[in-house]
Amino acid sequence: MTEALQSLFWIIVFPGFLFTVAFGLFASWIVRKVSALVQWRVGPPLFQPFYDVVKLMGKEILVPQEAQQAVFMAAPLVGMAGVLLLSTMLWRITIAQTAFVGDIIVAIYLMVLPSLALILGSSASASPHASVGTSREMKLVMSYELPLVLAFIVVIIKTGGQLNLAAIAQQVPALSISGMLAFLVALLCVQAKLGFVPFDIAEAETEVASGVLIEYSGALLAVWKLMQAMMLVALPLFLVMVFLGGFGASLWTGLGKYVLILVLVILIKNTNPRMRIDQAMKFFWFYCGLALAIAVTLAIIGNYCGINWL
Amino acid sequence: MNQEELNNKLAEIKDKLIAIEQPVDNKIWFTCEAENSYEINKFLFEEVPLRFVIATGIDSDDCFEVLYHYAYDETGCMVTLKAFIRDREKPEIESIAPFLPGAEWIEREIHDILGIDFRNHPDMRRLILSDDWPEGVYPLRKDAKKPVSWPDGEPSSRPTVDSPSRRTVPLSKPVLVVGPFHPLQEEMEFFQLTIDGEIVTDIDMRISYNHRGIEKISESLQFDQVPFLVSRICGICSASHPLAYVQAVEELAGIKPPERALYVRTIINELERIHSHVLWAGLAGHFIGYDTVFMWAWKYREPVLDLLEEITGNRNNYGNVKVGGCREDIPNELKPKILKDMDEIEKKMDMLIKAVTDDPILHARLKGVGVLSKEDAIKYAVTGPTARASGIAIDVRQDDPYAVYADLDWNVISQPEGDVFAKVVVRLLEVIEAIKIIRQAVKKIPEGPIAVEVKEIPAGEAVGCVEAPRGETFHYVRSDGGNRPVRHKVRAPSFVNVPSFKASCIGQHIADVTITLAAVDPCYSCTERLAVVDQYSNIIHDYDTLLRLSRERTAQIKKELGAPGLKMEDLQIG
Repeated sequence: MTEALQSLFWIIVFPGFLFTVAFGLFASWIVRKVSALVQWRVGPPLFQPFYDVVKLMGKEILVPQEAQQAVFMAAPLVGMAGVLLLSTMLWRITIAQTAFVGDIIVAIYLMVLPSLALILGSSASASPHASVGTSREMKLVMSYELPLVLAFIVVIIKTGGQLNLAAIAQQVPALSISGMLAFLVALLCVQAKLGFVPFDIAEAETEVASGVLIEYSGALLAVWKLMQAMMLVALPLFLVMVFLGGFGASLWTGLGKYVLILVLVILIKNTNPRMRIDQAMKFFWFYCGLALAIAVTLAIIGNYCGINWL
Repeated sequence: MNQEELNNKLAEIKDKLIAIEQPVDNKIWFTCEAENSYEINKFLFEEVPLRFVIATGIDSDDCFEVLYHYAYDETGCMVTLKAFIRDREKPEIESIAPFLPGAEWIEREIHDILGIDFRNHPDMRRLILSDDWPEGVYPLRKDAKKPVSWPDGEPSSRPTVDSPSRRTVPLSKPVLVVGPFHPLQEEMEFFQLTIDGEIVTDIDMRISYNHRGIEKISESLQFDQVPFLVSRICGICSASHPLAYVQAVEELAGIKPPERALYVRTIINELERIHSHVLWAGLAGHFIGYDTVFMWAWKYREPVLDLLEEITGNRNNYGNVKVGGCREDIPNELKPKILKDMDEIEKKMDMLIKAVTDDPILHARLKGVGVLSKEDAIKYAVTGPTARASGIAIDVRQDDPYAVYADLDWNVISQPEGDVFAKVVVRLLEVIEAIKIIRQAVKKIPEGPIAVEVKEIPAGEAVGCVEAPRGETFHYVRSDGGNRPVRHKVRAPSFVNVPSFKASCIGQHIADVTITLAAVDPCYSCTERLAVVDQYSNIIHDYDTLLRLSRERTAQIKKELGAPGLKMEDLQIG
């Protein structure tokens, strides 16, 4: 009984829902503020992302007449549940070392949930704009999932076949050629997962008027926004654990690594135009695929010959 | 061909005409009967060949006139064909749209406003009147009643996708609707994209959500009031429209403005070009999701607006030209500041040009996208950067120089590719040329008065052309010797540039269509100037109605208060 309560506390309060939401809203404020500074604007006040969500919560929820109501309403919750689990799991591993064998695979699965939920929700909304967005999101998921998994395989090879995140986080795979390549590709995949420029193709407001999200309003839209904010916590954290040696001894070095990834994401976001979907597919499959093929080969050779920097 | 050869060539069609007039060397006026107009138009467009500018429909008392304006850009010659339609009851003329797609819209417009029927027109739906405007009421006819009364019964509901002026697409095909309100565009317009996956297979458009009746209002204003009206056609081209109008009136009345005024006009128009092109570059960045370019470009544009404010008192709607000269002078103390600001802007533009031409993703997104071939560009009669990016090096400033462009050293920028990238390059390089022009003009500007006195505008007709940032702005003015124009036709460049979407968008990705739609820098407030209708409440907002409504309301309030004789004195206490 107490164990169940304990787990519930982890999921709902810390390091689960409340903590992740607060952290995520803060992170999305950083994204907005830094973007604004890059663009010579003033940017929003600290609590703006929070106000936005609260305001949306109070707005009417409109469900299109022809929509599949149940799927349309459930999709955002499913997506958020996925990110919530992922975040709770990653933070528990970081803080309490409660890792288990194979948790990296669970994490990879949980990371796909938001995109799947987005595809479900938007295809249930019966809007032509959303259907274009859905098809784009699907193509995008198919493009970046393969490189992302390959990048993790590089890490698993580098760490001598470890499938345990706590064990992987003991090492720093990015300090080698293959690990660095894998890290850069994984960073771009995370960019796409977050739906940031140059991969905000499914939402592209000037083309399909925020595509996948076009029919969502009120609290349901707020849930999507919260989900995106929470992803801003979980995904960079995952990269830190897999590639950069986790939080290590001190909390501050860990946060430093997290901020580094966040800054890289923001910089990519602000120095690129949006890609077209066919260009994005080509980019992930051919260029990233090729880079990872090289990385995997290097990692195997390095592992076999005992050369760590390969 | 030089002017003489052109005259000889044009003389071949002489026997179909009633008269040929050539008041000045590069203005030729033909007159003919409606029956011969098709043949003559075909000759002018295909055999000479001339560039189609626009057509003007006029209700002269005993007949209708349709004026077809053509330009010969090598000598800057304007050829106008005036066709008389004698039958007032059932006015009809042969459509020229079958061989000249660029005339499709203007024939629809003339049909809307004057009720002239164009035989064999491919698509005679309404263009600028709202869908619920009553049949058989033509606002630009001289006998049009004000206010127009609706036919008996309920007015039709507000326009929907299925209303008659919109094409109905078979339901089996998915349709992506862009507009009337969409984050892509800052003004109201409606695009209906038929899509197959990500590929656009057909496009249909509907404009006319924002009429202000400029041409009709212009007929009720005095000659010196009109510049203020036409500068409000568009916030960005608010120097070009008045200048084109003023040049038409000056030609009509034979007025020569003083030298200094011409320099002031040149400087203000080039400042306008810089701010318009930089604004567009920012928007283009936004359309392809590059918001940093959006914000940076608009920041670079600010000093230009500040300069314009310092000279004319306004950041937009300068209201600085008048018939016979200018209203505000450029003070000599301001010259060093203008030169300094030009240096700053040039530095930043150099940086922007380098950033754009070196960015591989921009190349991937813009090259080979939305190509408008040279042939299509001629058929749709496009102008300005849209034409110049398709390898047609036309520029009114060069072909028929006005103000002081002929005395300054600058180049016409053109690119052969016709894609969006070429349009970006043309606009950015034109900013550099504009800076060059402003520098020379500021250094060479002579001392002297900035306006001459104008007394009378004689009867007659004339055209005025100005190279606005988006292309050639064309104004036609007819005077009967009174103090108001009897007809004032405005053709903004977007009116011919926008229909070219038909040629450049089909077969493109959705992602590319949006930037292609934006690449001609469409200006809907320029394109739509005519009827005055609030289509949602079905109220005609003309001045008389508003005045009447206002008076009725006052009377009603008085009645409610029960004080018919209420006077101001009664309200004062003590």
